Amino acid sequence: MLVFAISDKGGTGRSVTSSNIVYRRALQGSDVCYLDFDFGSPTAGAIFSVSSVARGTTQGGMHRYFEGRIADPHRIDIWAETDREGLRAKPPGAGQMVLFPGDEGGGEFSTVSEEMLLRCVRLFTRLEEEFDLCLVDLSAGRSFAAQMALAATARLPGVPFRWLVFHRWTRQHIIAAHGLVQGRQGLLAAGVDHGHDGETLADHIRFVRTAVLEPDAAELEGLRETQKAWLNECDRELRELARRYGVGRTSMLGKIPLDPVLQWREQLISDEDVLSSQIANAETVAAFDDLAKKIVDDSAWEAL
Amino acid sequence: MLVMGEVRTGLLQNSGEIPESLCQGVLGLLSGERVRTSRRPIVYAVSPDQLTGVDCRLASASRARVRGVGTVLSRASVTGGRVLQGSSHIQVARAESDHRLSWSHYLARPGVIEVFGKVRVPDLADGFADSGGWNDCLDLGSVGERFMDVVQASPLLDRKAPFRSARTRLRWVAVAEEPGREGPGIRFTLGRDRVRTLRLVLPDGFTPDVVDFCEDLALHDWLLTTLLVIVERARVGTATRAEVTAKLAPAVDHLLHLWMPAARLDDDFAPLWEALERRPGFTRQWQSLVARVRDQVAINTLALLREAGGW
Repeated sequence: MLVFAISDKGGTGRSVTSSNIVYRRALQGSDVCYLDFDFGSPTAGAIFSVSSVARGTTQGGMHRYFEGRIADPHRIDIWAETDREGLRAKPPGAGQMVLFPGDEGGGEFSTVSEEMLLRCVRLFTRLEEEFDLCLVDLSAGRSFAAQMALAATARLPGVPFRWLVFHRWTRQHIIAAHGLVQGRQGLLAAGVDHGHDGETLADHIRFVRTAVLEPDAAELEGLRETQKAWLNECDRELRELARRYGVGRTSMLGKIPLDPVLQWREQLISDEDVLSSQIANAETVAAFDDLAKKIVDDSAWEAL
Repeated sequence: MLVMGEVRTGLLQNSGEIPESLCQGVLGLLSGERVRTSRRPIVYAVSPDQLTGVDCRLASASRARVRGVGTVLSRASVTGGRVLQGSSHIQVARAESDHRLSWSHYLARPGVIEVFGKVRVPDLADGFADSGGWNDCLDLGSVGERFMDVVQASPLLDRKAPFRSARTRLRWVAVAEEPGREGPGIRFTLGRDRVRTLRLVLPDGFTPDVVDFCEDLALHDWLLTTLLVIVERARVGTATRAEVTAKLAPAVDHLLHLWMPAARLDDDFAPLWEALERRPGFTRQWQSLVARVRDQVAINTLALLREAGGW
């Protein structure tokens, strides 16, 4: 299955959340891969703590593959090549976890040629043979990478795909996420142009809320009653706004709580970070685990 | 004499095995003559030979710039209606002129690459065997894999493969026997990232049967590699019996019956297979794995019977 991760704005935690989903899915026993389609700033290597490709690879990554300069993009076995001690031993029963990094000094494409599209179709077809889940991390906003993803999936009717739209739990982010999907040059309109059926495509798009602060969270206990009441009111307004914009509960696949580890150091959260060093919250891992299951759970994707 | 090739092997993207008639259809996508098939002892279908013209650098261990012009011979095959292979090879010859000739010259010599200047066979052979990270040299594996991609994209396949599996790459190099050294030689090495290398020393020179042998070895190496992964993932002894059996089921359904080393090969190649059976011992490892799979299934059946009070 192909899963495309996209957000309208930067700083939503799209990459770090997607990476953690991929990691949780691998722990759950699936073969997974992560493709860095953020050609302008490939940083997935840093999240997976593979320092040799922290800013992209020099050995031929996604960008050079699409340019047709290499036949096979550089692939990295994360279990074997990560610098993090705690991740290096693949637990028994866990699946493959492979990173396809971008190129150092790659840059965004200014157009999608037919050749690039054919290369994309070929890449997706081959990866689908080998991996249960291929997560494609697209850059923020409307990009040529997103256009290519829509065009390629339209040509691959046999390959299941899903889209995750990441947004923070704020007024502007809710409106922006709505625009990215429903707007004039949004995913749905572009998808229909590339030959997708609009309704079917809409059924394959879900939202993920990131950095969510629940009004009843333990962190908020020290707040004054007036502050709590105000927060509750804001949250209620946001829920109402989200519902009006079609970004509400029914079209949401999951939400990730605000976690300092994700904010200050974008990285994979291992069970060790929760249990032994206790720097991360158990709720965050539970949210990743839940998302990793729901991504492949058909009942979570039934037509709205 | 120097012949080099690469075989890539993977699972045909279909829910079940495909019948012989469908093999004709999926391999017939590659233009050319008829698809050849044989039924005994296992259904095997192979596409007509495909030629790809190349003018490019060849890998060499010394990193010398070696330019070769000619054609690559490729074909795709399906074994047991289940396993797909893409195979390409070239014979290296010295060019008689010092410049590129018209393509009709090269087309008349299918599968021959002519190299300019003086080259040493061991230099090219070592370079090719180790050419993993070279992006600017002839990549025979990619040439063959293109034809695999065409087959996998066939509308006759449902793309619902029963399990995920990676394609393996077997890179092979065959050279003529040197005077003073005895008999056929074979060396098989497992590398990183599912790359295997095979070095052959042939007393009787190159025949197309050598390609058959390499494809047969690649097929069995893929079967063994794939079954090893399935058994490892089943977490025998840790997961519940039902979970283990569910993970092993695709192997029983789709792989176990395909093991037939040297089934279609000329008798001349028997000594080479025998050498591989001694070490690393392909069939020994396969049989031990198969026994393990069947024992697990049997134990689960007994457990189910006991639960049902049936004994």
